[in-house]
This record gives sequence, structure tokens and C-alpha cells, in this order.
Amino acid sequence: MNQRIRRLAVALLVLYVILFAQLNFIQVGRKASLDADVRNTRQTVRDFDRPRGPILTADGVVIAESVRTEPGGNYTWQRTYPENDLYAHLTGYFTLAYGATQVERVANDVLSGRTTEQQLAGVWSIFDADDNSGSVTLTVDSDVQEAARAALGEREGSVVVLDVQTGAVKALWSWPSFDPNLISAHDSAEAGLWLQFLDLLPSNPLLANAYQERYMPGSTFKILTTAAALENGTVDLATVFTEESQFIPPQTTDPIENYDGSTCGGDLTEVFRRSCNTPFARLALDLGASTMVEAATRFGIGEKVPFDLPSAASSSFGNVEYFEENLPLLAIGGFGQGNTQMVPLHMAAIAAAVANRGTMMQPYVIDATRDHDGGLLDRTAPQVWRQIMSPEVATILSDLMEEVARRGTASCCFRLANGVIGAAKTGTAQLNGPGEPERSHAWIVGFAPVEAPRYAFAVMLKGTNAEISAGTGGTLAGPVASKVMNAALGD
Amino acid sequence: MVMAGLVTAGAYTLASLGQNAVIPSRILPFLGLVLLLLVSAHVAVRWLASGADSTLLPVAALLNGLGYVMIARLSERLAGLQTTWTFIGIAVFITVLLLVQRINDLSRYMWHFFAAGAFLLLLPMAPGVGFTSGGARIWVNIGPINFQPGEFAKLALALFFAGYLADRGRLISTSTRRFGPFWIPEPRDLLPLVAAWAFSVVVMVGQRDLGSSLLFFTLFVVMVWVATEKTSYLVIGLALFVGASVVAYNLFDHVQTRVSVWLDPWSQYEGKGYQIAQAMFALGNGGITGTGLGRGLPQRIPEAKNDFIFAAIGEEMGLLGATIILLSFVVLIGAGLRIALRTQRPFEKLLATGLTTIVGVQAFIIIGGVIRVVPLTGITLPFVSYGGSSLVANYALLALLIRLSDVSARRLGEVPDTPMLGERLAARFGRRNEAIGLDDDADGDDS
Repeated sequence: MNQRIRRLAVALLVLYVILFAQLNFIQVGRKASLDADVRNTRQTVRDFDRPRGPILTADGVVIAESVRTEPGGNYTWQRTYPENDLYAHLTGYFTLAYGATQVERVANDVLSGRTTEQQLAGVWSIFDADDNSGSVTLTVDSDVQEAARAALGEREGSVVVLDVQTGAVKALWSWPSFDPNLISAHDSAEAGLWLQFLDLLPSNPLLANAYQERYMPGSTFKILTTAAALENGTVDLATVFTEESQFIPPQTTDPIENYDGSTCGGDLTEVFRRSCNTPFARLALDLGASTMVEAATRFGIGEKVPFDLPSAASSSFGNVEYFEENLPLLAIGGFGQGNTQMVPLHMAAIAAAVANRGTMMQPYVIDATRDHDGGLLDRTAPQVWRQIMSPEVATILSDLMEEVARRGTASCCFRLANGVIGAAKTGTAQLNGPGEPERSHAWIVGFAPVEAPRYAFAVMLKGTNAEISAGTGGTLAGPVASKVMNAALGD
Repeated sequence: MVMAGLVTAGAYTLASLGQNAVIPSRILPFLGLVLLLLVSAHVAVRWLASGADSTLLPVAALLNGLGYVMIARLSERLAGLQTTWTFIGIAVFITVLLLVQRINDLSRYMWHFFAAGAFLLLLPMAPGVGFTSGGARIWVNIGPINFQPGEFAKLALALFFAGYLADRGRLISTSTRRFGPFWIPEPRDLLPLVAAWAFSVVVMVGQRDLGSSLLFFTLFVVMVWVATEKTSYLVIGLALFVGASVVAYNLFDHVQTRVSVWLDPWSQYEGKGYQIAQAMFALGNGGITGTGLGRGLPQRIPEAKNDFIFAAIGEEMGLLGATIILLSFVVLIGAGLRIALRTQRPFEKLLATGLTTIVGVQAFIIIGGVIRVVPLTGITLPFVSYGGSSLVANYALLALLIRLSDVSARRLGEVPDTPMLGERLAARFGRRNEAIGLDDDADGDDS
């Protein structure tokens, strides 16, 4: 028997040698082709399924973080957004199948620990080498952001609050929003269905009203017309506009009317405060197409808002040839009607520029990035976007807007706590043509406190229902702006 | 022994580090428990079988430990259960060492083992207690306990084959009858053996458990071959195997599926080939050194904790870790067959050969299935895979091997032949007359 047992030993050994040879063939010989197989998602998944740092608000609230999943699942980490829809348009989402958006996308390297600094730091600590993910701190203040959501409620629209000197976003809220947790589900099919569903909704919750869409600005645009006219010398504070209820521009028989058909006129302060339409229609025509278009260009209209998150929209006004052939449109463009379209974030930046001696800062929301140990990697330095008006004109406009808040169209409803005086300009952008049911966006833009401005804002309520369409920028958007600015100034 | 414990604990710590980047808080109780279990097994061997081969238990402990780490890394819940199974396995290991003092006596009970083996094999097919899981009807549910009786049946059948062949091997090898051009032994002598084989193979095919079926068949052929020293049995066995394979291939869809997946898993990636394809990706991903414990994606392989645990180890511990597993089995085979060579008694020789063949061939079948050397047939990787029945049965098997080793060492005078614990106890209770002498062949078998 012993001979047979020895042969058995040899036979079994041969079998194991075969196993070893095959193992070598797979793990060494075929490694490259296996790794390169398109069906092999291991590399992609490994890049996806690793520790990822948090995104925080300026006051330290965690708005995106990766948490460990139950062991045994397909993935170790789950990206979660503790505040659900509140910061969806800022953080964006992070998925395997549908990529990443917004901060998750632009700060991906920092969050996943792949910047050169982080990689170098990781070399020194072997045990932490696996987790050198960084964090991103936003400029947003959670109190102001929450106040914005509460004030806007279920109405479609947006609220933007900016630091006037830096352009840092204190609050940026758009409704409808969405819950990024739904899209970050590990089940790609489920996430895909949510994306499809959200994409099909007519209100388009995936796009931020505040900076990825543009809307007719109505009378808030009079800031531009006024600035252009003051800069140009066409008007000054002493200029008096005739009292009239309507004005018929060239090339048409359709009259331009004031709001509610009222008779309106007086000096610049008066017509700005009461938001008469006819004076600004005349101003736009007096300045002419080229001067108006020049002013629009100086204001950054026609260029993408230089925001630090992807897919910001650009505002639009029109070009010289078009306006010269359509002077009535230039006239109504003078008070923000017709083809004029403004991004709410852009309007907030313009209001901030008035408060900042005519200097418009680039809006930004990423304040700082830090490595795993909290060491600063990068801090955003505020940058000038454009000088949109001279400091003198800015001072005059600031006074005009203060009058609007004190005694004008915003006086009813834009009132700040603790006796703080703000400056504002309202807008009620009429969307319907003649004979159609009333439909209008309600706007208010401005800043406060007027003597030493800190924050500028733009509130826009979309004219999606009769309630909003029946109101004005002052009555509807004013109270929203008051609540949000009280929260911003109250800190 | 200490090495095996340290490797296991170290690997577990690394696995947790890879996942959490912190030293796990459970490390101390875990270390304590595992070391305690292994040390108690080791003490039991020193005390109950001091002459035994000293490589068997540490190697098994290493396999058990590496498997445990991989299971713990895949699922914390299963790790808890596996700890319990390890505990039971070691308890059974010690119990077998305690109970089986004179292993040669087991040959007397070969018909009991035959009956037990048949019963265990048939049990899953009994209505009420048997159930199907994962396509194979190999499970039995009695009260709160689920187990695979097949794991224990292979032990019982190895004991039966060893006993029967030790007794009648000579008769079978002397071919007395002429059948065409062949000389065959007396059918009377051959019949029970063929029946035992056919029985188990039919049952296994009926239960759709191809892996176990193949294992039984190999066990049978190898043991008959070693016992009779006739190569013709090997040839006949091979012919039978080829015949059975062809029949099975044509009769059963699932056999055809297994073969086509083996030859080309890639064209069936979305279906039956997915598991093998994922195992290939996992192994490729591991490369030579592996991704590191806790840092691969073995959870993407279906049944990674069980049949495919070798692929999970290959991914996270790389070619090196997988080679350690292969070498461990080679060492187990070497030690087992050395025991078979050293002992003089046919029963012990055959038993050691059979038990070693079970471990060696079972590991080959499943590893070969995972890495596409042979078609995949579901079966556990001894000591490594998750599963109570498998672990407990394999520890019982290990205890028998260690007892065999100890007995032959005593007989060869390598260790002083002090009275064994059972004999001392028997002496104390005045039953000395039954416990004298090692060459106690007075009793016949119980047939």
C-alpha cells in the first residue's frame, strides 16, 4: 500500500502545482487584461468608494458627509446630505453612475484627497494614508439659509444674499429644490429613476433658480438705466420728468403705461421711488440703443455669471441692431420688460455693487478647503468682476434706493429689525401679453444697512400662480427680504 | 501554533485598519477568544495525543484563522456565528480525541458507519426536515438547527471504506472470476462496496450536489486503489467517471451550464458566468501582493464568504496569501499521508489515506472551480469557508488524523506508551480487564 500512498501524494501534489500555475496565470499573467475589461467596475468603484471629506457651512454645519455603511454591502461609504434639500443646489450630489455636480464636482480632488498637497502629506502617515480626504467650507451661513427657505415657503423663486465687499454668498436658496440623498443612493437604477423624475417636472428642481435660470427683472432693472443715464450726464437729481399716464414710443401705436395705469412724474428721486415706467422708457430711448447696450455689457450682462459652481446662467438684454429696429422694445427694456432677462444672483451682485462704490465682486460660495487634519489648503480671495459705475453714481443710486425703502414702493414691506435702514428696488415683471390673465414675477433687490452696507440681496418670486401675479415686488418679495436680511444682520 | 494565532490576529487587525483606519475595539476579546480556543485545542493534543504530528493542528488553525478574518471582513454577523462554529468545532475536536482512544477499534463499527453515512446522505431528501438552498437539496432543518449532513456523511463513509477494505481488500484484489476479457473478484465481495459507491453517487446527483458527488467518487476510487494495489481499479474508476460525466452532461441542464461557464464565463457575464467572472476580476485585482485586507471589493463576488472565499483571499491577500492557502493544504496532505505511511495497520493506513484525500481533493475541487481549472461545483473550502457543518466535520476529521498519528508514534516507541486518559479512568473504575493491550483484535466486526 505504501507505494500507492506515495503515488497518491505525488498525484495530489501535481494537482496543487496546477492550481498554483493557474493562480499565477490569472493573478499575474492576465492581471492587465482583467483590470482593463470594461465590465470590471472595480477600479471605478474603488475610486468612488473611498472616504470623502465633509462640506460645511461657514458656521460649521455639516451639509454633506460620507458615512460608513453596514458591513457586507457592495460599498463601504454612503454620501449623505443631512440637511436634505436645503443645500442641494450648492453641494450638488455625488454618484457612481451619474457623476458629481456643484461643490461635489468642483472640489472633488480636495474631498477625495487627491490634490498634490494631500497626496504628499499622505506619504508621511502610513496609517492614515487611506484617508487623506479634505473638507470644504462654504461661505453660506446656515441661519440665513434657513431663514431664506422659511421666508420663501412653498412659492417658487429664489433668495440670494451676498457680502457686498467680497461677493461671498451668505445664502442661496431656490425653490423647488430636491433631496440629493435620493440621487446618491447606491442603487444606480433607483438614483436614475429619481433623476429622470426630477428632470421631467415642469418646475425643474434640478436647476437652481438663483443662478442657473434667468427671469424678466421688471423695475429692478431701472438701476441699470439710471446708472447709465447718470454716468452719461443725461440726467441728474434735478431732472424733472413730466407727469403722464402713458407714453407712445416710436414705431408703434401701443402706449407704455405706468403700473396700474397711474399718472406718474417728478424729479429722479420721485420717479425712482414710485417706480414710474414712462420716465425710464424715455431715458432708454434718449440714451439710445448703443449706450444702453454698452451699459448692459459693463454690468456683465451677456456673460456667464463668474460663480464658482458649474453651469451658472448669463443675463441677457439685446444687441444694438435689434434695438434700433425695435425701439419700443428698447423703451420697455429701460424698465426691465421685453427681452430683458436677469439671473437672480447677478441682480444681487449689482445691488452689492451699488453698496460697494460701483465695484461688482465675483460671487463665490467656496470659502476654504482644508486637508484631513484641518490644515488650510486654499482660501478663496475675493475678486473684482467689473466696475459697473463710478463711485459717485453709486452714491446717488444708493440714496435713490434708500428712498425706495423709506418712502417708496418697498416702504410697505421691506422693514428691518432694530431700526436698521436698508436700500432697495422693487420689480414686478409683467409676463402676460395684452388681454391675457395677469402673470408677473415679484422682485426686490437691495442692501443694508444703508450707511455701512454689509449684505446685498435679491429675492425673486416666480409668477407661477395668481397669488404672486396679483401682488407686486414690494408686497410679496419685500417681507421675504426683510426676514432674510434680519437673519443676516442679526448674527 | 503561536504563529498561527499571531498571523490570524494580525490579519484581523489589518482588515479592520483597512476598513476603518482605527484599531478595532473588538480586537482584544477576539484575540483572547481565538487564542484561547487554539491553545485549548493544542493543550488537548499534548495531553490526549502527545505523540501526534505537530504540524496538523497549527496548519488547520491558520486556515481557520485566515478564513475567519475574511468572513469577519465580509460580514460582522457571520463572523459572530463563525466564532461559535469554531468553538463547537474545537469542542468536537477535543471530544473526538477523548472518545477515540484506540482508533483501530473503530473498524469494528464499520457497518454502523455505513448505516450512519447512508442515513445522513438520505436525510436531506426526507420530507419535513430536508430543504433546498442554493439549488442543492443538501440541507436539513431540525428544530432551530440547519446543517448539511453530507459533511458528516463523508467522514462516516471514509470510516466504512477503510474498515471494509482493510477487512476484504485482499479478497477483492484476487480476481477469481472471468468476465469477458476481464478477471473480476467474487461479486459477493465487491457488491457492498459498489453499492456504497453507487448509492452515494446517486444520492448526490439526486440532490444536485456535484461537488460532493465528485469527492465521494474520488474517495472511493482512491481507497480501493490503495487497498487493492490494482491499477485496473483506477482505470475502471476513470472509465466510470467519464461515463457518468457524459450521462450527467446529457441528462442535466445544470451540468451543461457548469461546463459552458467553465469554458467561457465571459459570454454569459450577465447570467450564470457572473460569479466566475467576478472571481476572475477579484483575483486580477489582487495581483501579487493583494489590495490589502479590507481594501478590495470581494463582496461583489456572490457567495464570497462560502464557496468563493478563495477568490476573496486572492483579491485582498494577493497571490502570496492564496499561495499560503495552497501550501497549507499541501502540508496537510503531506502530514496526513505520512501518517498513512508510518502506521502498519491496514485500517489505519486506509483511514489516514481516506481522510487526507477528503481534505486534499475537496480543497482542490473548490479552488480549481473558482480559478477555472475544473468546472465549478459548489463545495466548501475545508477550515476556511463559512459554515458550521463543514467546520465541525473537518475538526472531527482532524482529530481522527491526530489520533492516528499519535497511535502510530506510540507503537513505534517515539513517545512513552503511557496509559491513555480513558484507560486511566477505566482503571479507576475497575474495568481494567477491558483496557489491556494494544493488539486487541479479539473482537470481530459487528456485521
